[in-house]
Amino acid sequence: MQGPPGSSKAPLSLQLQQDKQQPTIPVEQQYEAILGDLKYNKPNSAALIPVIVSPHANTMLRLAPTPSSRHALLLLCCCRSAVPATASTSNSAPTQTPITQSRRSLSSSAKTAGAAAAESQLRPLKPLTPSQRAFLSSALRVNQAGELAATLIYTAQTPPIVAREPHLSPLMRHMYDQEAGHLTTFNQLIAKHRVRPTALYPLWSVLATGLGWSTAVLGREAAMACTEAVETEIGGHYNAQIRQLLEMVAEWEADGYAVGSEFTDLIDTLRRIRDEELEHLDHAINHDAKKAQPYWLLTSAIRAGCRGAIWVSEKV
Amino acid sequence: MRPPALSRAAAGASRLLTPRAAWTRPASTTSSSITTLTTTRRAQPNLQPTTASRARAYHASTHPPPPPPFSPTETAILSAAYTHVPTHGFSQTSLALGARSAGYLDISTNLLPDGVFSLIKYHLLTHRELLSSTPLPPTSTLSAKVEHLTFTRLLANAPVLPHLQSALAIMAQPSYIPTSLAELAVLADEILYLAGDVSVDPTWYTKRASLSAIYAASELFMTNDTSAGFRDTRAFLARRLGEAEELGGAVRSVGEWVGFNAKAGVNVLRSWGAPI
Repeated sequence: MQGPPGSSKAPLSLQLQQDKQQPTIPVEQQYEAILGDLKYNKPNSAALIPVIVSPHANTMLRLAPTPSSRHALLLLCCCRSAVPATASTSNSAPTQTPITQSRRSLSSSAKTAGAAAAESQLRPLKPLTPSQRAFLSSALRVNQAGELAATLIYTAQTPPIVAREPHLSPLMRHMYDQEAGHLTTFNQLIAKHRVRPTALYPLWSVLATGLGWSTAVLGREAAMACTEAVETEIGGHYNAQIRQLLEMVAEWEADGYAVGSEFTDLIDTLRRIRDEELEHLDHAINHDAKKAQPYWLLTSAIRAGCRGAIWVSEKV
Repeated sequence: MRPPALSRAAAGASRLLTPRAAWTRPASTTSSSITTLTTTRRAQPNLQPTTASRARAYHASTHPPPPPPFSPTETAILSAAYTHVPTHGFSQTSLALGARSAGYLDISTNLLPDGVFSLIKYHLLTHRELLSSTPLPPTSTLSAKVEHLTFTRLLANAPVLPHLQSALAIMAQPSYIPTSLAELAVLADEILYLAGDVSVDPTWYTKRASLSAIYAASELFMTNDTSAGFRDTRAFLARRLGEAEELGGAVRSVGEWVGFNAKAGVNVLRSWGAPI
């Protein structure tokens, strides 16, 4: 139970050490790489950011100054990393999505042939530490609060906007449906993992409805600016959570523990939801979010409010 | 050159944690206990965090559960002491008898940082964990399952019922109130989870708060209940749960009425052309 066989430890830990020495790319630069040109129905490309972009972003941004060339280079990285490793691991999810396949290929490519043979035995799951449990519970609590707020914002924004511009009805409907799906997902996760929901649920409900209604009454551009601000904060927030989960999983793999489908599924879910939120961000920008009149005031106030709400929901 | 008292202390300390069978010197227990009492320092209190909140924050269905709050030695002493509670109550006597029957010195009870309260906590913990193995009929409603589980937990108090009032008095001491309330909250959460409650909105809080209050009241009622099979307690419990459900239904209805009328009013204004 205490760790991998001695033969596999040295190359893997060395590989991880080398990985750790890579400079981490700040979130804004990662966004530039994502938002420039990604197609939304290719979850691989956005989802591989924490894994692919960090070692390759510097090279990528130097070699590919224009958005389209960056897109081509990203797809190239995805294709190369999406090739499954020959020594594939037998643990965890039977349904291997391309995302988990590529991530596992990144770690298993570092292992020697001896380790691959040892891996075919069933490794135990490591018990979670109290700080890991606290992190997971606050993460799920905040995510549920965020999706609740997003659902209520769209519900409040839709009637004033659609009354003035009926052609926006399908877009508002589409964004609302996706947010409602996210809320259902997090409600199920919270019930399944016995996480306490946020105690300020009624407060967030009132504030979100008020925010949605007031920005919609100010105009379509203001409503889109509100969406842009909220989705920017939420996207960065999900990225931080995914990064932390990937670190947890990497630690387990380094110590020779199995990684259950519970965590691979959670990471995949968060990636998918993060991609859909970024899609909303792009829709908002495409519908003149930047043309809102007190743009800096609206976005900075809403972003500060979101950050405060996230901080409070993590605790309470 | 160690002074004799310290060497006796060292010997005594090492004997605290080894069962009696391993001793080589057949010394009389009384004199060695007194010696160790005067010369050994009290064992350091358990430095594990006593708040259960961080350990229970996230329930991982596939990963192993968090470690129990008592160490193996403490569990051995407490489980042995618990068998003496029906006769000697939640007291130092039960703890000492338990330590002795588990094969440790009487003074080993100093390992337990809270003394008698550790025994009470052991009682609460064991019976809460036993709830998960209660068989439930799958077709009953949520409220029927909650009543069944709560009454099962109340019945588990039956063997120690004569001493329950003194246990409640110890739990109400100011230094133990936070832990006692936390245990009550965790019990309510466990009962609702096992009954199949999946609410994730403010009713999560209202259900647990009301169930905690109802359980505490029923437990207090039970300490004076002399009916056969505690049927009076069961009737009391059913009445309280019924009232809570009625109150919840009334609040929900009022909320629905207010919400509907507010939305309808806003929509009527919109249909009249107001730019809202």
